[in-house]
Amino acid sequence: MTGGALLAVDALPAFVDLPFESHYITSIVRVSLYVSLVAVAISTLFSLPVAMVVGFSEFPGKSLVTAIINTGMGFPSVVVGLVVLFMLSSSGPFGPLGLVFTPEAMIISQFVLATPVITGVSLAAVTSVERNVRDAAFAMGGTRLDVALVVIKEARFGIATAVLAGFGRAISEVGSVLIVGGNIAYADGTSYTRNLTTAIQLEARQGRFETAMFLGAILVALVLLVNAAVGRLGGSGRTR
Amino acid sequence: MTALLEVTDVSHTYDEAVFEGVSLSVERGEVLAVIGPSGVGKSTLLRLLALFERPDRGSIEFEGTDVWAVSEGQRLEMRRNVGMVFQEASLFDAPVLRNAEYGLRVRQSWPDRVRRGVADLVGRRNGTSETAREALSVVGLEGKEAQNARSLSGGEAQRVAFARALAYDPGVLLLDEPTSDLDPRNTALLEEAIDEARQREIGVVLATHDMHQAERVADRVAVVLGTGIAEIGPAERVFEAPNDDRTRKFVAGELVY
Amino acid sequence: MPIQRRRFLALAGGAATAGVAGCTGMFDGEDEAADGGEDGGGDDGGGNGGDSAASVEGEELVLTTTTSTYDTGLLDEVNLAFEERFGTPVQAIAQGTGAALETARNGDADVIMVHARGSEDEFMEEGHGVNRRDLMFNDFVILGSPDDPAGIEGGEDAVEAFETVAEAEEMFVSRGDDSGTHVAELEIWDEADAEPGGEWYVEAGAGMGDTLNQTSQQGAYTLSDRGTYISQRGEIELEILVEGPVEGGPEILANPYGILAANPAVHGDRNYDLGMAYIGFLTGQEGQEVVENYTLDGEQLFFPEAISEDPNFEQYVPEGWSANGDADDDETA
Ligand SMILES: Nc1ncnc2c1ncn2[C@@H]1O[C@H](COP(=O)(O)OP(=O)(O)O)[C@@H](O)[C@H]1O
Ligand SMILES: [Mg+2]
Repeated sequence: MTGGALLAVDALPAFVDLPFESHYITSIVRVSLYVSLVAVAISTLFSLPVAMVVGFSEFPGKSLVTAIINTGMGFPSVVVGLVVLFMLSSSGPFGPLGLVFTPEAMIISQFVLATPVITGVSLAAVTSVERNVRDAAFAMGGTRLDVALVVIKEARFGIATAVLAGFGRAISEVGSVLIVGGNIAYADGTSYTRNLTTAIQLEARQGRFETAMFLGAILVALVLLVNAAVGRLGGSGRTR
Repeated sequence: MTALLEVTDVSHTYDEAVFEGVSLSVERGEVLAVIGPSGVGKSTLLRLLALFERPDRGSIEFEGTDVWAVSEGQRLEMRRNVGMVFQEASLFDAPVLRNAEYGLRVRQSWPDRVRRGVADLVGRRNGTSETAREALSVVGLEGKEAQNARSLSGGEAQRVAFARALAYDPGVLLLDEPTSDLDPRNTALLEEAIDEARQREIGVVLATHDMHQAERVADRVAVVLGTGIAEIGPAERVFEAPNDDRTRKFVAGELVY
Repeated sequence: MPIQRRRFLALAGGAATAGVAGCTGMFDGEDEAADGGEDGGGDDGGGNGGDSAASVEGEELVLTTTTSTYDTGLLDEVNLAFEERFGTPVQAIAQGTGAALETARNGDADVIMVHARGSEDEFMEEGHGVNRRDLMFNDFVILGSPDDPAGIEGGEDAVEAFETVAEAEEMFVSRGDDSGTHVAELEIWDEADAEPGGEWYVEAGAGMGDTLNQTSQQGAYTLSDRGTYISQRGEIELEILVEGPVEGGPEILANPYGILAANPAVHGDRNYDLGMAYIGFLTGQEGQEVVENYTLDGEQLFFPEAISEDPNFEQYVPEGWSANGDADDDETA
């Protein structure tokens, strides 16, 4: 899918005269996808166990965790960007890692943004799985892990929705990645930390609205494509 | 020889006492019907037997071993000797065969399970599903293997649930009012399947509020009234000549709980 | 190496999406990832042999700079030339002058290229920066819509023009972002007999490009560096109403750019020597030639200032700094 989208962009200038280099666009798309897909993948691996624990067990501080998840869903991305910058900056606690102004810093801030969304929506999905089904998995000799896997499988459509919502939040936010990534592209037009949203912001700032619009169209197309892909993947599991 | 399943002096309380001092036993190849009015605690008893939770007092022994006196790992092994069918639909959102195989799958090693999962994704089925197919044929569901379990009728769903529990050949089979929502034909098919379980030397505990069903399929009957077993004994005797006064009224349909 | 790594990571990302897309895509992705892996392996092998001679290759240089150098396209031009010469790609972060210096204060930049002498001096006095050089200059111009409702066109005095706009209460859009341009604008207001405030004075809180867009949309006035204006004048409806010193306008509209390195004593993990190489390159013949020759729409945007026979000592130290003060300290010590 990505390959197709990138090829299409590569091929475009052959017959349409666009006011930018296709290499510039493809590298921006690559950075966008790399950062957001990795952030969402890590976030999903983190969020699912959290949703399971919050959904099915009692522990002190549970209501606090729930409150964090709920407020985190609407957390302003620039604030997240600022906090991540403070953490990663050379003068901050994680400065020695040298992560500030790297794609990895962008992954961290998108992880922070996507996680409450993915956890919150997954939590709703897993807790709506019938208790009977969980009991059946246990009674058939399933371990706690088996029961958890059954719950995740039963809630797969809700979880897919959660992952998509998280991906949408990650790939379309501009505030935090601008702050922690620095919107860096090398002089030869290869993006380092410039993704679609920060590029759109930059192009609009410079009054190059056509390029900004084109990038915006790619962003929307990517979100639609990922939605369709996840929808198809989820749909193939169900043979009604 | 020790009993397959021995319950001794079990008490259990939720908001108020559900049981006080309940004792019973189940042998291989016998069907014990637990009858009693709705809300008396039949489901609670079966959940205790399936080791969902620990009773407040008393002991539950499988083949002479107290299930709550052993390690977690050993308890899992004991738990895996139990099959259960629930009152409400409890099938997984997956094809019928996958449901029937579930117990077999969780008993496999992780490498095998992963290999099997990959084979499923690629669409190549092979290997261990023969036992599951055989269990489906016991409940008359050959040919439905590929259908999604959620699209089955209520009767078919309960039969798949039965096959799912039968497939891994448990020593004890717990049936919690499996036919309460079913039509006569599906009820008959399930009762045949219960008979098949008895033939396979499985000890069956059947909770039911249907006395006629208990008469049809049970070898022995335990009548649960109030917070304890009012009477327990061979089915014929309990129904024809109950010792207990309340049992007599309950069997006659007079005791409205 | 950074480029190779990026490519591999990008491919891995691609493979992940392809995986989501289904089986066919998955195999495509695997092929790509495998290719990427092989490439990486080959480069590593090379790194142990011939490549190791290229000393600065694989190092990173982080430059924080103002949006004006970036948005005009000059920065890409000089950075390409630098990369050709030293093999190190420059990671340029375009911010307002204030933010650029703040980022460097946090130890997140090797070199700083800005245009607000006062802020640069403060930065050096705090010990964060060393080796400041005058780099180049251009000028600010006062822009407004062609109908010029306040009637400032052709004026020779920037301060007077500001006063006129304030008196007429015609809309003025300020950068409002602590950038070099913003600082220069506030200095003019300081000179003027008028207070910037009231409903006619709005702060964009944005870069020059955004501010120009906004000014054009509103038919308002603003102060802009000439370079950004030229690079964007095709997209906006704004004209130069008061010229800067490049076209004979007042000195107060001069816009000098300085470049300096993060102090290695304070920011020990920064790449000081590479930063100095960058400063050396930009203030040397080749870099200054790139600045000189950079044109947009046929117009030169920046004027090199680094190469001079005059000693021009003032460029190295904060303005008004005197050696005597320092000597006194030595005596008391
Ligand atoms: N998890 C539980 N928490 C609290 N009360 C329960 C729980 N499960 C069952 N009960 C109560 O225990 C009693 C017996 O219920 P149950 O075993 O479902 O009866 P039956 O299956 O015979 O209809 C009921 O009063 C029921 O409300
Ligand atoms: Mg019940």
